[in-house]
Amino acid sequence: MPLDAMNDISDDALLVLFANGDRAAARALTLRLTPRVLAHAQRLLGSPAEAEDVAQEAMLRLWKVAPEWRQGEAKVTTWLYRVVANLCTDRLRKGHSLPLEAAPEPIDTSRGPAAALQGAARAEALQRALGGLPERQRQAVVLRHLEDMGNPEIAGIMDISVEAVESLLARGRRALAAELAGQRAELGFVDEQD
Amino acid sequence: MSRIDDDIAALRGYFEAGRSHGAQPSGALLARVLADATQAQAAQAAMAMSPGAEPARQAGLWQQVLRGLGGWPALAGLATATVAGIWIGFSPASGIDAYLDPADPAYVVDLDPWQTFDLASMTEGAM
Repeated sequence: MPLDAMNDISDDALLVLFANGDRAAARALTLRLTPRVLAHAQRLLGSPAEAEDVAQEAMLRLWKVAPEWRQGEAKVTTWLYRVVANLCTDRLRKGHSLPLEAAPEPIDTSRGPAAALQGAARAEALQRALGGLPERQRQAVVLRHLEDMGNPEIAGIMDISVEAVESLLARGRRALAAELAGQRAELGFVDEQD
Repeated sequence: MSRIDDDIAALRGYFEAGRSHGAQPSGALLARVLADATQAQAAQAAMAMSPGAEPARQAGLWQQVLRGLGGWPALAGLATATVAGIWIGFSPASGIDAYLDPADPAYVVDLDPWQTFDLASMTEGAM
């Protein structure tokens, strides 16, 4: 089946095709899920190299679980984000990563060099501030505000109640806002408000 | 405006920047992930085809037999009874020797318990 024809197929249906030996399904899942897994791992760990290792390991676990996957029972992305979070937690506890390390990102210059540089600087500042949050608060904030997930789905990934998610989010945002408040002028926010 | 709304408003620009600057996988990473996928598919296909699946089926059959007997407690009782039987066979209690190996091979048969002269004693010689 051509790769384009798989765009409309759900993740779990692709996983069933993968388990049946479909090579195109393997390519489609790799291209669809690896960017999300990598971005999430990097936001939790801060380190690009560590995030690559976690992304590869999480995808490997997905390949291994594929034959036992029951279509419609769980969301593939929910399962994957949970695996990524667990792998990141293991690495952070072993001191493998530096949460305060700012990740160098490719700069998108499509909106002009100045805006692109400003965006990159803001993203770096956010990453540094995220690195200073307690692990669970960081995970909740990343899932809600950078991965655009709803609180019930976050609760499912983190295996806690929706109320606990809301509490983690409120405390995480408060700490981030306090940490980043002093950098607003430097990162161009004051000029935008004036 | 609540404090939560204030925080969200203050952070909105940071979150927008963070979303648009997410890490992108390198070609090398995608190639490694795809190689893992191909290897996993090959291993799963080999496992489905190989006779290595036989022990699992045998284990399943053994489990079925065990369930049929009533599980591990029933099997333990069966094993105890077997061992006790073997032990009694090799080393019987002294009280039952007379029954197993009598010096006088005679036995009594009550033919009709309602009659007065109802006992018949039979010896080997009388038979």
